Amino acid sequence: MTDPAVDVQALTKVYRRWGRKRSVGTFKSALLSGRPGRALSPDEGVPALTDVSFQVAPGEAVGIVGPNGSGKSTLLKVLAGILRPTSGTVAVRGRLAALLELGAGFHPEISGRENVEIAGLLLGLTRKEIAARFDDIVRFAEIEDFLDAPVKTYSSGMAVRLGFSIAAHSDPDVLLVDEVLAVGDEAFARRSLEKFAEFERAGKTLVLVSHDLTLVGERCRRALWLDGGRLAADGPAGETIALYRERVAVHEAERRAAPASVRAAGSSGRIGSGQATLAAVRLLDGGGRPVSRIASGAPARLAMEIEAAAPLSDFVFGFGIATVAGAPVFGSNTAIDGFVAGELAGGATAVLDIPSLDLAPGVYSVDAAVHARDGSPYDYRRDVLRFEVTADRAPAGVWNPERRWSFSGEVRWKS
Amino acid sequence: MFSPLRRAWRQRALVFALARRELTARYRGGVLGFFWSLLNPLLLLLVYATIFRLVFTPRSDVRPYALFLFAGVLCWGFVSSALLDAAETFRANGPLLRKTTVAPEVFPTMATGARLAHLLLALPILAAAVLVAALTGSIRPGLAALQLPVVLLLLAFLVLGIALLVSVLAVHFGDVRDLLANLLTLAFFLTPVLYPIESVPERYRAVLRLNPFVPFFVGIHESAFFYRAIPAATWAGMAAWTAAALAAGSAVFERLRDSVAEEA
Repeated sequence: MTDPAVDVQALTKVYRRWGRKRSVGTFKSALLSGRPGRALSPDEGVPALTDVSFQVAPGEAVGIVGPNGSGKSTLLKVLAGILRPTSGTVAVRGRLAALLELGAGFHPEISGRENVEIAGLLLGLTRKEIAARFDDIVRFAEIEDFLDAPVKTYSSGMAVRLGFSIAAHSDPDVLLVDEVLAVGDEAFARRSLEKFAEFERAGKTLVLVSHDLTLVGERCRRALWLDGGRLAADGPAGETIALYRERVAVHEAERRAAPASVRAAGSSGRIGSGQATLAAVRLLDGGGRPVSRIASGAPARLAMEIEAAAPLSDFVFGFGIATVAGAPVFGSNTAIDGFVAGELAGGATAVLDIPSLDLAPGVYSVDAAVHARDGSPYDYRRDVLRFEVTADRAPAGVWNPERRWSFSGEVRWKS
Repeated sequence: MFSPLRRAWRQRALVFALARRELTARYRGGVLGFFWSLLNPLLLLLVYATIFRLVFTPRSDVRPYALFLFAGVLCWGFVSSALLDAAETFRANGPLLRKTTVAPEVFPTMATGARLAHLLLALPILAAAVLVAALTGSIRPGLAALQLPVVLLLLAFLVLGIALLVSVLAVHFGDVRDLLANLLTLAFFLTPVLYPIESVPERYRAVLRLNPFVPFFVGIHESAFFYRAIPAATWAGMAAWTAAALAAGSAVFERLRDSVAEEA
C-alpha cells in the first residue's frame, strides 16, 4: 500500500468542560481565586471518540455511518484540523477541503462575487486560483445573474449551490463531506453526485459522513461504522451497512417488543372503541418463527390475535405496510379480499400469508387493525411492529421483484 | 514564540479579504455609510473642543485645542474599537470557526486590521484640518510629522498583541468584554489624549509609565501637533510595550487556541 491519504492512529477526543461551567466562569472570579491558571484547566471530559484507528488510501471513497451522537462529525472536524485530538495522531496528506456546511462563512450583506473570494480563501485557494476558476464556479452554481447582488437576496438553494460549487472547484486531494447533500433540490443533488464521481475518477480521496445509507452504499466502496465514539465496523460498504442496519433493526425490535399491555392504553399509535382488541401482532418467517429481519423474496406471514369483548357480527381484519418515512407500500383487509363477516366471539387468530415478500431492502412499519365495515375502528394500531428486509442488491423504490435482463444487438458486458 | 503572528501572516490574503468584508458590510447601508462612521469621532471632537474652550481654559501651548485633540481622539478610537471588536470576534465568527478550517489567529488580526483601515481613511481629514490651520497661520507644521506613520505602525502592533490576548480570554470568560470596556474608559483619562504629557505633575509621571499607551500618545502629539522630534526614551517605551504585548498575546493565544473552535 502506498502512503495513506488519511492516517488515524488511536485517536481519542474528549470534549473539555471549562471552569465548572462557562456561563459562570468569569475572569474576575478566576483572578480572585488566586490561581487563574486553574480556571483554564478542564474540570471534566465528555468523550466523543475513543481509540479510533484507520487508514484511507489515496483515491479511496470511504463512508462513515452511525447514529446521531456517535462521533461522526467530531471525527470529520478532527480530520479537518478544526479540533485537536486529545490523544492519538491524525495525518492527512495533500490539500484538504472540508465541506461541513454549505455556504458556511457567507456574509449576507456582501455580494456573491466577494463571498466567492472569501470562501475560496477559507478553503485554502490563493487569489490567483480563485480568479482562474471563478467562471466555472459561477456557471456550475447557476447564479450568473445574481453575482453582484448581496447574498441575503439569494434563495437558500442558490446559496447552497454556490457553496458546493466553490468547494467542488477547490480541487482538493482529500475531500471531507458532512451530510451536505441533504439540502438542495433533486437536480442539484444529482449534479453534486456527478461531481463526486468525477472526483473519484480523478483519483481523489473522499470521506463522506451521511445518514443516507443508500448514498454511502452507492458512492463508497468502504464504510466505517461509529457507535458511541468507537469504531464498530470497518469494511466493504455493503457489509458495514448491513451490520449497521441489523443493529438498528434489533434496537427497534427491542423497543417494540415491550409487552403489548405496556404500550396499549393511551398509546397515541392506538385508537378504537375496544369492542375487539388486538392482543398481539407478529411477523413470522416461512417456518412460523417470529422474526424482525427477513430476506427479500422469502415467504412471510403477518399474524394478529384478536379478542372480542362481546360477540360481534360486523368486523374486518386488516394489515398495512409502510416505509418508516410513512409512504404506504401495501394495505389490504378481509373485506377487500372478499370475506364477509359472520361472527367473532372471544379469541381468534388471523394470518396473512405472503409467499414471496418482494420488498426492496430497508426498514418497514406495520399497521394492524380490527374495525367495522364502515371503517370505525375497534382497535387500530399504527406502527405496531417494524421489520427489516435484506437483499444483496438494492433497487430504487420499494419493490424488489424477481427479474431478468435480456439483451440483443451490439452490446457486450464485461461481467 | 510568535507562531500566532506567523500563522496570521501566512493567512494574510484571508485577513485582508475578511477585513474588507467587515468594512464594506458595515458601510453598505448607504452612500454616506463611511461618513456616518466618521461622524462619531467628529462629534466627540466638537464636544471636547467646545467644553474645554468654554468651561476650562486649555493651556496656551495646546492651541488650537481642537486640532490638538484631533489626532489623539482618532487614534484612541482605533485602540478602543479594535480591542472591543477583538473581544467579540470569536463569538461573532463562531460558524466560520466551527465549520471551516480557518486558523483562529485570523480573527483578532482582522478586527485590528479593519479598525486600522478605518483610522487610515480618516487621516486625510486630519491632514486637511492641519492644512487649513497652517494656511490661517495658527500652526507651523514641520517634517516631524513624518514620524506619525512609524508611531501608528507600532501602535497597530501593540493593539494586535493585546487583541490576541483579549480575544482568546473572552472565549473562556464571559466578563472580559465588560472588564475591557471599563479599563478602556479609565485608560482614556490616564493617557495623554485630552492633555499634553507636560501638564501632568512631575511626581505622577512615573505612575504613567505603567500605562502602555502613554509613549504612543506622546509620540502622536509630538509628531502631529507640536512637530518636534520624539525623544529616544519615548521610542524605547513604544518598542518595549509593543514587544511585550506581542509576546504575551502570542503566548496566551498559543496556550488557548486549540479550544477556541470548541468554545466559541
